Amino acid sequence: MTPAPIIPLVYYQVLAAIIFTIGVVGVLVRRSALIIFMSIELMLNAVNLSFVAFSRQHGSMDGHIFVFFVMAVAAAEVAVGLAILVAIFRNRDTANVDDVRLLRG
Amino acid sequence: MLISAFLFAMFAGIAIGCSLGVIFHRNPVHCALMLVGVLLSVSGLFILLNASFLAALQVLVYAGAIMVLFLFVLMLLNLKGENPLLTRGAAKGFGILFAIVVFVELLWTVLSPQVEAGSMGAVPTVPRGFGSPAAIGRVLYTVWLYPFEITSILLLIAVIGAVVLAKRKFG
Repeated sequence: MTPAPIIPLVYYQVLAAIIFTIGVVGVLVRRSALIIFMSIELMLNAVNLSFVAFSRQHGSMDGHIFVFFVMAVAAAEVAVGLAILVAIFRNRDTANVDDVRLLRG
Repeated sequence: MLISAFLFAMFAGIAIGCSLGVIFHRNPVHCALMLVGVLLSVSGLFILLNASFLAALQVLVYAGAIMVLFLFVLMLLNLKGENPLLTRGAAKGFGILFAIVVFVELLWTVLSPQVEAGSMGAVPTVPRGFGSPAAIGRVLYTVWLYPFEITSILLLIAVIGAVVLAKRKFG
């Protein structure tokens, strides 16, 4: 038994936009690859929130299904991305994206 | 009304504050813990939106599995705090400018008349059991069966790829 949300759903969309923008700032401005990954997770979560809010608005479960797939893909992305990060760190001894800018150096 | 408005304000405040913490904290471990705060408050918002199954999944998959992975890598790499926290000069200014443009564009879209007509008005009631595991499973295993099976292959490939990348000797 969940409380019915009587808040207009546009607030959820605005909140999702704010979190997404914070994630964009994190990706563009931070130098550590790990924090960039976390910022990508922030953006994915903002999009998920938006999906669920629209799903609630239209009374359709398809948005929920999409969020489910986004979570699965995010898990795969994090596993591979962190493995790449570990490989870079072993090779170069840094996780700083400003220091890793040559494809072969 | 009052309780759900209060809960929304609380979760939204925690989410925004913690996500600012993620991108502006110096210590990566603190950033990871801030990210847990964001994930848990988004899970609370899912419950407010009658998505109980996704709220549970958010806690299990994101706050459980993915964050544990992040913390493992943090311990493995032993990262020092970044000395200049942000990228240098032009990249930083351009990044923030670009982010502002993205934000204005998103607000423009969300508040545009077509979208607003749907989402500003009264929230429609949903049938009982909306967003419950049973309802999601009914849709997932009928309409979305093939994408669901393909997802399992994707996860298998990701596992194999992670193992191969992490085991290979470089240089």
